[in-house]
Amino acid sequence: MAVAAEDFAQTIALDGARKQRGNLTQARIRWMVLAVVLGLGLVSGRLVQLGMAETDQTIEGQTRDVITATRPPILDRNGLEMAVDIRVPSLYAEPRRIIDVEEAVRKLRTVLPDIDEEWLRNRLTGDQGFVWVKRELTPAIQDAVMRLGIPGIDFITESKRFYPGMNEAAHILGSTNVDNQGIAGIERHMDSESVALLQELGLARGNALAPVELSVDMRVQHVMHEQLMDAMTRYQAIAAAGVMMDIHTGEIIALASVPDFNPNEPATALVKDTFNRITSGIFEPGSIFKTVTMAGALDSGSVQITDQFDARYGIRFGRYTIDDFHGKHRILALPEVYKYSSNIGTIRIMQAMGKDNYRAFLSRMKFDQRVEFELPEMRVPTVPDSFSEVAAATASFGHGLSVSPLHMVTAYAAFVNGGNYISPTLYKRDVAEAEALYERVLRPETSAYLRYLMRLNAISTGGSGSQMNKAAQGYRVGGKTGTAEKVVDGRYSSSKVTNFFASAFPLDNPRYAMVIMVDEPKAENAQSGTTAGWNAGTVTGRVVQRVAPMLGIAPDFSEVVDQQIVPAEVRQLYPEGF
Amino acid sequence: MIRNLNIFLLCVSVLMLAGVYALKFSIEGTASERSALVAHIEEQEGQLSLLKADWAVLNQPGHIDPIVKRHQAELAIGPVQQEQFGSFTALPMRPAKPDTAAMDALFAAITEGIDPIDAILQMEGIE
Repeated sequence: MAVAAEDFAQTIALDGARKQRGNLTQARIRWMVLAVVLGLGLVSGRLVQLGMAETDQTIEGQTRDVITATRPPILDRNGLEMAVDIRVPSLYAEPRRIIDVEEAVRKLRTVLPDIDEEWLRNRLTGDQGFVWVKRELTPAIQDAVMRLGIPGIDFITESKRFYPGMNEAAHILGSTNVDNQGIAGIERHMDSESVALLQELGLARGNALAPVELSVDMRVQHVMHEQLMDAMTRYQAIAAAGVMMDIHTGEIIALASVPDFNPNEPATALVKDTFNRITSGIFEPGSIFKTVTMAGALDSGSVQITDQFDARYGIRFGRYTIDDFHGKHRILALPEVYKYSSNIGTIRIMQAMGKDNYRAFLSRMKFDQRVEFELPEMRVPTVPDSFSEVAAATASFGHGLSVSPLHMVTAYAAFVNGGNYISPTLYKRDVAEAEALYERVLRPETSAYLRYLMRLNAISTGGSGSQMNKAAQGYRVGGKTGTAEKVVDGRYSSSKVTNFFASAFPLDNPRYAMVIMVDEPKAENAQSGTTAGWNAGTVTGRVVQRVAPMLGIAPDFSEVVDQQIVPAEVRQLYPEGF
Repeated sequence: MIRNLNIFLLCVSVLMLAGVYALKFSIEGTASERSALVAHIEEQEGQLSLLKADWAVLNQPGHIDPIVKRHQAELAIGPVQQEQFGSFTALPMRPAKPDTAAMDALFAAITEGIDPIDAILQMEGIE
C-alpha cells in the first residue's frame, strides 16, 4: 500500500477546507493542553519541593531583632557611662534534635550545677523546636558547654544591660528584665517614652541609638553614696538617703538611698527596705518644715524679719501643750526662732499668717501633690485638705503631714533661687529651658531673707547647723535641721527619730540645694547626740566638703561674703549680722 | 544564511548562559563572604561591648576611690582641703623691675664654677 502510494504524486484530498481547518484547530488544542499540563506540573512540583523544604527553626531567623534589641547607653552629665549594653551568650535547646535526653541533662549539669535536674529533663523532653535553658551566661561557660558537644544545644548572643556603677546609682537607673525592658527607675521611664516603640519597630538594633544624657554627676553621686554608707555604720542607722539639686535648672545632681540594690542583679531590688526613700518614701519632715512656714509668713507680709515672738510659755491646745525642745523661754526675734528651732515661735508665726493662708501656701509649694519627676517610684504625700487650729500648729513645725525628701529639696531650691519653683528632672536641662518652666512662688526679697536665715543657722553660736558647718568651712553652706520623732504604737517616740538636714550652698550665690536623711540614728560617741545636727548635719558638711571643689565652688573664708547676705533690717536689730 | 545566523545565535546564547552562571556563582561567593564578614563584625562588636563595659567599670569613681584609698599612705595623698585653694588675688605682684645686681652675682658665680642648684640638690640628697 505504501509502495503504491508512492507512485502517486499526491493523494487526493478528500476532506473539505472546513474539515481541514477543524483538524488543525484540534491539533493546536492538544498542544496547548500539553503545555498547560506541563506548566501546572512544574508549579506543583515546585510546590512539593517547597513543602519538603526544612523551615528555619533556629531563633536566628525569627526573633533575632527582639532578643538583640538594644537600649541606648545612659551617660552622666560628664559623659561617663552609667549603663551600657553588652553581648552575652544565652543557652537554648532544640528538644526535637536531642538524641539522648538523659545524657544531655547529665552533661549540662556538670557545667551548670545550679539548674534543677527535674526541670531540665522536662525542658529537654518533647518535640519543640526551641526552648531557653539559661540566659545571659559568661563566655567561659559558653566555651565549657560547647566542649560537651551535645547535639541540639546551642548558644545565641543576646543584649544584656550592664551597670558599671554597680549599686551607686541604683535608684536613679532602676533595672531591666531579661528581655531588656525597663522595670524600674529611669530605664522604665525611657521605655514609656520611646525605646519600647523603637524596639517594637525593630529599629533598636546595633549600637546606633543616641545615648541618653542624665543630669547626674557620678563623682558627686559616688561621694553621696559613700557618705550615706558611712552614716549607716557610723550612726548605726537603719537607712539613709540624700538628694542634691541644681536650684536654677532643677537638675538632680545626685540621688541615693541606702540600703540599695545592685541593678545588675535585679532580684536584689526585691529585698525589703531597698525602696527609694527620696521619691517613694514619705516622712514627717520635722523642723526642716519650719523654713516653709517662715517662707510663707515672710512672703505674705504678715510678719517681718525683725518681729518678736513670745516663746516664754508653751501653747495649749485643749489637753496638749506644745513646747520647745531646747526651750529658751523668752521673747525671740524671728531669726532666733529659726536658729533655736522654736516650735512655739513657729506656731506664732504661722498664726500671724493665718492657718488657711498657710494651707494655701503649702498648695502653692505643691506639697499636696506628687512632684513632677521622671522616676516611676513615687508616693502621694499626705497633707490634710484643711487644717484645724492644732493641725496647723503641728504642721508649722513639720508634724501631722508627710512629704517626700524630694518635695523638700524642690521647696528649698525655690526658697534660695529667688523664689521660682522648678520641678526636678533627671535629664540635662539648661537655665534657659528651665526659666521657661519657672513658677514664681516667693518674692525675691523673701528668698534673700531665707538665705540669710539658713546661713545664720550654720554660723551663729547655738545654731543647729554648726556641726555641719565645721566640716564644710569656707563653702558658705546653710540649712536647717529636722528631728522628727517616729510614731511607735500610736505615740511619738523620743528614742526613734528620723533626722533631716536641708541645706543650700554657697549661700552668697546659691547653686545647689541638698536634703540628707538619716533614719533612726544612734549617737556616734558619748559626746554627741542623736538630733539631726549630729548626724544628718555632719553628713551634709562632709558631702559638701568633698563635692564643692568638683562642682567648681572655691572656698572663701572672708567674712565679707557672709556679711553681704545680711538684710539691712536685720542689721538694725543685730549690728554684727549673725 | 538563516543557518549561519542560527549557529551564531546558539553560540551566543551558550556563551551568555555560561556568563550568567559564572555571575551567579560569583555573587553567591560574594554573598557568603559578606555574611561571614557580618558575622565577624557582630562578634567583634560583642567583644567591643565587653571592652567598653570594662572601660566604664574602670572609670567609675566608685572603682577608683578604693584604689586611691589603698595607696593613700604610700603616696601621701588625700581629699582636697579648703586651705589648699588659692586665688589670683593672693599671688604677689610682679616686682617693679628685675633685680639686676642679684642676676649679675648669679652669673658671676656660675662662670666661677659654683652652681647654686648643686647645693640644693646635695641638700636634698639627689645626685
